[in-house]
Amino acid sequence: MIQFFHVYKTYARDLEALVDINLHIQKGEFVFIAGPSGAGKTTLLRLIFRDERPTSGQILVNGRNVGKLPDRAIPQLRRGIGVIFQDFKLLRDRSIADNLALVYRVLGMPAAIGKRKVANLLKVVGLTHKAQMTPYKLSGGEQQRVAIARALMNDPLLLLADEPTGDLDTDLAADVMRLLSDIHARGTTVVVATHDMNMVRDMGRRTIILKAGRIVEEHP
Amino acid sequence: MDRLRYILQDALVNIRRGGWGGLASIGTIAVSFVIVGIFLVITRNLGAMVAEWKEQFQVTVFLEDRISAEQLALVKKRIESERAVRHMTYTSKEEALKNFKRELRGKESLLDGLGENPIPASLQLSIHDAHQTPEALRQLASFLSRLEGVEDVLYGQEWVDRLTAAVRMLRLLGLTVGLALGMASLLIVSNTIRLAVYARAEEIEIMRLVGATKMHIRAPFLLEGMIQGGAGAGLAILLLFGAYRATLYQLQLTPGQIFGMGVGSFLDPRGAAAMLLAGAAVGAFGSLVSVGRFLRT
Repeated sequence: MIQFFHVYKTYARDLEALVDINLHIQKGEFVFIAGPSGAGKTTLLRLIFRDERPTSGQILVNGRNVGKLPDRAIPQLRRGIGVIFQDFKLLRDRSIADNLALVYRVLGMPAAIGKRKVANLLKVVGLTHKAQMTPYKLSGGEQQRVAIARALMNDPLLLLADEPTGDLDTDLAADVMRLLSDIHARGTTVVVATHDMNMVRDMGRRTIILKAGRIVEEHP
Repeated sequence: MDRLRYILQDALVNIRRGGWGGLASIGTIAVSFVIVGIFLVITRNLGAMVAEWKEQFQVTVFLEDRISAEQLALVKKRIESERAVRHMTYTSKEEALKNFKRELRGKESLLDGLGENPIPASLQLSIHDAHQTPEALRQLASFLSRLEGVEDVLYGQEWVDRLTAAVRMLRLLGLTVGLALGMASLLIVSNTIRLAVYARAEEIEIMRLVGATKMHIRAPFLLEGMIQGGAGAGLAILLLFGAYRATLYQLQLTPGQIFGMGVGSFLDPRGAAAMLLAGAAVGAFGSLVSVGRFLRT
């Protein structure tokens, strides 16, 4: 599903975010990209959905060479990927339901189908009763679940999550991880970037550890 | 279908949020178009008037009262042989008097005191377009006035030419002013749209990241610009029409009767449609300018 071949990403001068990254993630896998902040986890994710281009090397996502993708093909790539952003990227002036609706509008889905989807996903993340509230009336954990619901709006084959348990206490973090595991169980490939080594250990999934832009460890 | 509806909804939301900024855009476009429209209506009417005068104001050759039949025949022959002359009509003294009386309408008694018919017979010449230069006409007139039996030669061409030049100047001025104002409206619309884009920067970012095409992001703003531009132009047409009617009323004229000639008219439907389209185009262009810079994939 995802293949990196000798990928480098260098910002400005000498700022090496990623150095010689090689990795394969199979369809249906659940993978952690772990490491301290600034290790290059977010950059790695952004390369996958082409929010960044590699400085050198090749990246294949679903057989497509992402780095060489022409601009007009980018929307199509992103429509197959769900992304949970570290900062959630929710619109503050809109209800939770409208935040999710944004996705089906972009995809040009008929409103009736889109609305049903919004209702279903809010049920999945347990926020049906808060559908009409704006994000700032929600707790951090609830906002995180909205972000997850939005990432699932397009039925992605691949879900990328950037620090999905970042600010959450242990119980809420466990909830979120359970949710992601459920999604994975339904056949979605899941890639989670996190700095929380304890959680990674508890989950016992495949883990790729990044440090200063390099893969330093991989297990199992 | 749904996609279209979403785009329309987004555009309307933008307009609603734009508030005063949007109204300012519409107002500016309206003012620009009113000014351009005034020039259009004036030049259109003046142009029509000049064209009509060109038809009417041909060369008139007044004949002496004591001209003999032979002399008249000779004059006619000389005139007919002139290449510049397209057509010639003879008006006898009697006919001329009758025409004059008809023009006096009900005040014929004014003429009662006149013993003899004072109006001379005349020949009206219409001139080929190619010969309607002031120089050619002057030569023709001086030639004709030297003919035996000719009293006087009148032509209004010089006057018509000056008017034509004035209309041309006015049209040019209108075009220049219109262009300048068009640019100004463009800037203001593009500024309003830019504010709308900034206000929605976060949303655009998210749309981009969930796979919106550039067109999908751009379309609502494009539509917003077009609606603003079209509304401005529409408002301008209404204002112009009101002003036009008020002017007619002040001058106590009915439409189609401006300057006592059958030429008075407002913008025709095509002209009005062109103005609406131009307004929409200005709006669309203004929005493209400001959204274009904002988009990256």
